[in-house]
Amino acid sequence: MKTTVTHEADSGAVLSLTLPAQPVNVAVVRQAMTGLAESLEIDARILADINMAVTEACTNVILHAYSGREENGSVEVEVRPARRRVLVVVRDAGHGFLPRPMQRDTSWRLGLPLIAALADGVEVTGGPDGTGTEVRMTFDLP
Amino acid sequence: MRVGSAESGVNVLALEGEHDIYTAAKLRDKLVALIDAGPSLIVDLSETTFVDSSILGALLNARQQAIEAETGFAVCVSPAAEPAVRRIFEMTGLIETLPVLETLELASAAASAGPPANENNSDP
Repeated sequence: MKTTVTHEADSGAVLSLTLPAQPVNVAVVRQAMTGLAESLEIDARILADINMAVTEACTNVILHAYSGREENGSVEVEVRPARRRVLVVVRDAGHGFLPRPMQRDTSWRLGLPLIAALADGVEVTGGPDGTGTEVRMTFDLP
Repeated sequence: MRVGSAESGVNVLALEGEHDIYTAAKLRDKLVALIDAGPSLIVDLSETTFVDSSILGALLNARQQAIEAETGFAVCVSPAAEPAVRRIFEMTGLIETLPVLETLELASAAASAGPPANENNSDP
């Protein structure tokens, strides 16, 4: 596990986590997010929304990003606060965001709609180097 | 995760703490076994502090299994539970679908009344 925490006045990353994309690590991401929210004095209600959205984004990485491969890769979570909003980025190095038929036996595909409902803004793009997927979620602060 | 029994003979599976993709598989197995075993089932989430869409998926699968087995099924989330837990059910419109009731008594009455209503448009 690689963790970097810095404190910057501008909208640089104050938290950058890289973890194996394994189910056990989603709670680790929430714990890190909760600790950071306390130091940034983010309201409990907004933190609850961020934690739910970041959980869904990480779960998508675990379930889909590396499917068909022998080993799961990693999931990266980055938090960039600004004055009136906070940006949370969840990134993987998987095979990109592919259209898939419904897998109703284990997944009801609630993740992305939930993220869209919880965040004030969402962008899903390919990763910066052309592989993987990046989910950029913004949350407005009061 | 513990299993008890409500006064009316309905099984109650009570969960505590945080539940996500890490605990979802174990929960799915437990739900399948409990519905297979027969009596109507209540899943009590009042003491949970977090549930995600993996858990909603497990509950939706259990609801479907209960309909097929003609067994009662209901979820309980008390008004005193963590607001985020109640919120995910409200956001996804699953309060009526599952159904989600506020007390064990109400959940027990719903589960004793038979399987959840099988609406044609019940997909989330």
